Amino acid sequence: MKKSLGIIGIFLAIFLIASLFGENFLTGLNLQNLTNRTALYSILALGASIVIVTGGIDLSIGSVVCLAGITVPWLLVEFEWSPWQVIPVVLAGSALIGLFHGLLITKLRLQPFLVTLCGLLLYRGIARWMTGDQSQGFQGEFGDVRAIALARFTVPGFRELGIEGFRVPATVIPMVVLAVVIGLFYSRTVWGRWILATGRNESAARYSGVPTERLTILSYVACSLLGGFGGMLFIFDIGSAQPSDFGNFYELYAIAAAVLGGCSLRGGEMSVVGVLVGAATLQLLRNTIMLVGVGSQIEFAVIGAVLLIGVGADELVRRLSARRAERLAVAAHT
Amino acid sequence: MNTRTNSILTLAVVTLALAGFAPRSSVAGDLVADQKARIAQLKVHPNAKPHVAFVSNGVADFWTIAKAGALAAGRELGCDVTVEFPGGGLSDQKRMLEDLVTRGIDGISVSPIDPTNQAEVMTLVAEKSFLITNDSDAPNAPRLCYIGMDNYDAGYLCGTLGREGCSGGEVAIFIGRLEQDNAKRRRQGFIDGLLARTPDSKRYDEPTKVITESGYTIVGTWTDSFDRAKAKANIEDVMIKHPKLALVTGLFEYNSTLAVEVFKQAGKTGVIKIAAFDEGADVINGIREGIVLGTVVQDPYGYGFESVKVLNAFNKGDMSLVPANGVVGIPARVIKKDNVEAFWKDLKAKLKAGKEAGASK
Repeated sequence: MKKSLGIIGIFLAIFLIASLFGENFLTGLNLQNLTNRTALYSILALGASIVIVTGGIDLSIGSVVCLAGITVPWLLVEFEWSPWQVIPVVLAGSALIGLFHGLLITKLRLQPFLVTLCGLLLYRGIARWMTGDQSQGFQGEFGDVRAIALARFTVPGFRELGIEGFRVPATVIPMVVLAVVIGLFYSRTVWGRWILATGRNESAARYSGVPTERLTILSYVACSLLGGFGGMLFIFDIGSAQPSDFGNFYELYAIAAAVLGGCSLRGGEMSVVGVLVGAATLQLLRNTIMLVGVGSQIEFAVIGAVLLIGVGADELVRRLSARRAERLAVAAHT
Repeated sequence: MNTRTNSILTLAVVTLALAGFAPRSSVAGDLVADQKARIAQLKVHPNAKPHVAFVSNGVADFWTIAKAGALAAGRELGCDVTVEFPGGGLSDQKRMLEDLVTRGIDGISVSPIDPTNQAEVMTLVAEKSFLITNDSDAPNAPRLCYIGMDNYDAGYLCGTLGREGCSGGEVAIFIGRLEQDNAKRRRQGFIDGLLARTPDSKRYDEPTKVITESGYTIVGTWTDSFDRAKAKANIEDVMIKHPKLALVTGLFEYNSTLAVEVFKQAGKTGVIKIAAFDEGADVINGIREGIVLGTVVQDPYGYGFESVKVLNAFNKGDMSLVPANGVVGIPARVIKKDNVEAFWKDLKAKLKAGKEAGASK
């Protein structure tokens, strides 16, 4: 939790600015939209963090989002499969992609960067080829399946807070379930601890009897599975997508959210709360830029600058407090 | 540095400077004349089978239909046709054009993504082959003709559609990107049509400026670089920032589709009107249901077909298909509730042909 304090502080600061200067920021509908976007990107970010914690990286998340997402309406509309066939097939396919990555990385000892970079090209290429580069959509049908992402639930209490019209998006449910499961896995299970140990020092963990290869494979499977699941939710939310651009750069949003949330790119460190706040911060920034009225041309520059200043300030405060603690310890000793 | 090196460097700098300062329009004009001269002097072998190319500005259903048209013309006229869809933007399109020239292609029809900054590659095509543009024009490039609709006029039609269905209030414009010529002209046409201004395709309103005129307030133009999640978020956020929004237009196909989607989810159908562009399935359904005022559609099949026809004629030494103004016009149409079914039937047939063409190539 401690390592997430910085990003929580940045989130609160931006939230305050948005509340003060953003037109209609604190309305139910806006908060509902923000919650939905956060949930969608959080699922990808959780997947990215699972791989990052092992000291690896997955650059193929965006292309897995594309392939899985595009496949759903493609099978439903073009081949008239039932949703009960499509969803398990897409999830199993996503898990197989992860297994493929994991095996190449552990058995062939290929660099994760290289393997997943090739995956980035491969899965998008497959998506474009199998659909003949045509956009895929639900043609105004399958409302009951799309409700997995589009349903909204009324929650009592928000009206009393002065926020009318807020309904909880359905995407929050998988986000919360996944966050709790992943959080408990890393903090309460032996396998979770072993993965953290593998991320900190793979050789040491292996010599201590930790099945590092199996755990690394498991991490890549989980990451691609979450990528595929996220892709499904994205397509349910958007309704249609074009294989050539759907999910482009989503891996960067996912990795950025994970790292901002306290995952070290060197591995061995993980904070589920931090990852969720990291994903929320990125979406909050985009929303704030729009509502405050900063031109969309400067959006990326503002996001980059704010995050850099925030993370820099966080690191500075951390170093100062560490130095102060050191000084106090020396003083107490003498 | 010795004297010889100095002289070489000076010569290089002067040459580069002269090349850089040569007026671009005159260079383009010379190249157009050069291409025309080459066409006039062509000695055509009776069995000659030209190989021409059609290059889009991206990947979309729209281009699949254009591909069907190009391949159909190739079959009918007996020439080889290569169709390329650049999925990676400007750099991808440049690479494709260079590779086609390297292959010794006999003519290229391209929809330039950023004509102002693609002068070099278009000059290269004009020098080595025959260059025409489609869908989005590059009037200052050395192209022999432009095939397509006038995007300003099409935008104007869309603006008029908006004016007829919405008498005033706040208006927002959504578009994929604004770099390309067709996007700029389409947007300006929409603004002028909505505000009932006298048509003037040279006019340009800054995208960042709020325009209040004739009872309408155009609150802004939002781009998304083809990220549909971002495009959806744009519409949601603008709807929240401007609760009194009366009309929106989506000037790229998916922008209108997403507007229908967002308003359905927010229960705003009918409250915020939509003047659409292109023929997304949700837009067509929206017209049937009465939640979309109408849509302005192009004829991509015609773009593909005419491009190949004109390039094939050039390779036979024939310039007669190109009018004096250099524009082979394929006008846009307005689809409303009364003609939506007939249009949809025709489109389905062309899409089927496009898919078959895609499978066969």
